[in-house]
Amino acid sequence: MRIVHYLNQFFGGLGGEEKAGMALEACAEAVGPGKLLEQLLDAEARVVLTLVCGDNYAVENQELMIESALEKVREANAELLVAGPCFLAGRYGMAAGSLCAAVQAKIGIPVITGMARENPGADLYRESLFIIDSGDSAAKMREVLTKMARLAEKLIRNEPIGSPKEEDYIPRGLIRDEFVEKTAAERLVDMVLAKAKGKAFESEMSPTTFRPVSMPPGVSDLRKAKLMLITDGGLVPKGNPDKIQGSAATRWGAYSIKSCDDLKGEDYEISHGGYDAQYVRQDPDRLVPLDVMRELEQEGVIGELCDEFISTSGLANPLSNTRRMGREMAEKAKRLGIDAIILTST
Amino acid sequence: MPLTLAIHPITEIRFAERFLLDGTVVFVDIDELRRLVVEDSAIASVDFQIARPGESCRAGPVFDIVEPRAKSPGGSPDWPGILGAPETAGHGTTHILEGAAVTVLREQSPGESRGATGYVLEMSGEAAAGSRYAKLQHLIVIIRTRDDLAMHARQKAYRLAQMKVAVRLARAAMDAAPEKTQVFDIAGGEDRSALPRVAYVGQIFSRQRKPEPEEQIIYGADTDGMVPTLLHPNEWLDGAVVTSYHTSIGGAETYFYQNNPVVAELYRRHQAREINFVGTVATIASADNCDRERNCHYAANLVKWALRADAAVLTKFGGGVPHTDLSETARLLECSGIKTAVQVTDLARDHRVESALLFNFPEVDAIVCIGGNSTHWQLPAVQRVIAANCGLAELLAGPFEIEAHNVIGVGNQQGASRLRSMVY
Repeated sequence: MRIVHYLNQFFGGLGGEEKAGMALEACAEAVGPGKLLEQLLDAEARVVLTLVCGDNYAVENQELMIESALEKVREANAELLVAGPCFLAGRYGMAAGSLCAAVQAKIGIPVITGMARENPGADLYRESLFIIDSGDSAAKMREVLTKMARLAEKLIRNEPIGSPKEEDYIPRGLIRDEFVEKTAAERLVDMVLAKAKGKAFESEMSPTTFRPVSMPPGVSDLRKAKLMLITDGGLVPKGNPDKIQGSAATRWGAYSIKSCDDLKGEDYEISHGGYDAQYVRQDPDRLVPLDVMRELEQEGVIGELCDEFISTSGLANPLSNTRRMGREMAEKAKRLGIDAIILTST
Repeated sequence: MPLTLAIHPITEIRFAERFLLDGTVVFVDIDELRRLVVEDSAIASVDFQIARPGESCRAGPVFDIVEPRAKSPGGSPDWPGILGAPETAGHGTTHILEGAAVTVLREQSPGESRGATGYVLEMSGEAAAGSRYAKLQHLIVIIRTRDDLAMHARQKAYRLAQMKVAVRLARAAMDAAPEKTQVFDIAGGEDRSALPRVAYVGQIFSRQRKPEPEEQIIYGADTDGMVPTLLHPNEWLDGAVVTSYHTSIGGAETYFYQNNPVVAELYRRHQAREINFVGTVATIASADNCDRERNCHYAANLVKWALRADAAVLTKFGGGVPHTDLSETARLLECSGIKTAVQVTDLARDHRVESALLFNFPEVDAIVCIGGNSTHWQLPAVQRVIAANCGLAELLAGPFEIEAHNVIGVGNQQGASRLRSMVY
């Protein structure tokens, strides 16, 4: 097995902070921890190339470093990239993480690294990589490298990877499916009885806490405000011109309501599989209340209604989609000088 | 209220001149069944086919699956509210053709969030391994309703035909001696005062949609205006509840109300003297906050004051929104000192933990999660496709890719699923 190993200047034995500016260097054999790594893997395993880069250089010239490293990994015909372990070293962790992610995406060979949970590199790359939880002490080098080697072997053989606890990698925050012996009902009753008896139980899912969204200041004068209507109820013009998916939508659309006072059912359709849309089909104003907004506009209660409304489908939509779409919508609203938005959901 | 299940194991269904149970083979008189089904003026014609475990066979889109069962005279009626008066289900003797199923197909793809294929019954291969339905002998009922009918009228006809066929089939066993009997009763002589009192709260409908006109879900009623209600565990097992026409993620079938995995597991623990199974609440998921507040409080109060439970397990029905009713009810119970565990479906299409749940209550921390979002199968072409028309047969012929949630039985929300979300 041909391995490429990435180290920073310190673990590469080239110096301390004074060498942090050094550019990427290559060496055709195992260096430092790489020698131990070779011993921990099977007899066929060889570190054919060690890449060493200064910590500052790697983060300040990340693109350049990665481009050059990718080329060398390709030339070396590597079957595995090992980076670190980096322990608590932040710049090292960032460099190792970004290189592993790039090699995984662009070359497609297995990659493994190790960091402390508190390493900023872990925060950035834990989702896309298996990062062995190294703790903060380099004295645990052998232990950490052993875990990295075991997990790497599994990745190479395409074997199932156990839980973070079993393999000691930093939880990636991802979900995969598994068929298990017990039915959901059996698991459910097991769990409630353990909980009722005060025994330990393992929940199959953990809730996520989210940063609270702070309340924006109120609209100071509604009579001068420009308002916009946004819905996640999936109202789209007939034919669904933007092909907004009815479930887990990745797209949204902005539709003109210029010189229109009332939405007509025959002009619209619903792309949303999660609610009973018959009442919206009868009268789309029930979802996007254009009729009353026009009245308020005429009465002078609000300054002006934006001549487009925004729509997407809010069904079974993962947060990764909705965050992006929310940002895009907010940018558009900002561009249009919108002061307030009425968001209607279903 | 004791319920006796008289169990007749079935290993084969065969078409014949007359109904007969011979050992573990049930002979079925198709002509009689056909007459029975077309009695309903909504139905133009009907066909029957048999699908066996391990066969290179696929059927769909599935409307519902039911276990053939028939009541002995003197007990509660067959399907109260649908075939009989809506009297209390769950007492007397019920004859069961265990290992058999009556499976009704739809004439149209259900579309919407469940995709073009709808729920597919797969009898062999990798996808079949994840579903208990693949181990059953299916009598597949292919109904053609009259052209001029609205969708709700078609579905009502499917349901009625399904129940009539299933009961008629099971009546073949009425005079035979069952291989075994099981008695279910939560009232018993023994002192259970030292055991934890455990209740079940099960959603049977989600108001993400209005029920279809004349839809029959609980004792023939459509759940409109329903508030949480006490059910004896036997009522679930014996025909009080059938599944809604619209089930969403992973499905819920009448078969798994009759064989409710949560009720069965609680009964098992009750009979093993590990718990005191004190009863159940049937509830619905709401469409708005007022409805939600009211229903969650009602359900929690029933568990607290009527059942006086120490612990409760909760399951949901339908899509994402029911997560909120489920978790709010569990939270209210926890606030009353009643320990809970809830069963949910994974909503994370992006496979991220942060997208999996629609709630975040520190008290609601015991969660069983049915996976499905990262399981797809490439279904091969099969030798036999059973569908209501050529278009659907072509759609299901294979090969095609299918999500786990569209293979009926795999992601089941009633507690039957063996698919689990693993966080990594």
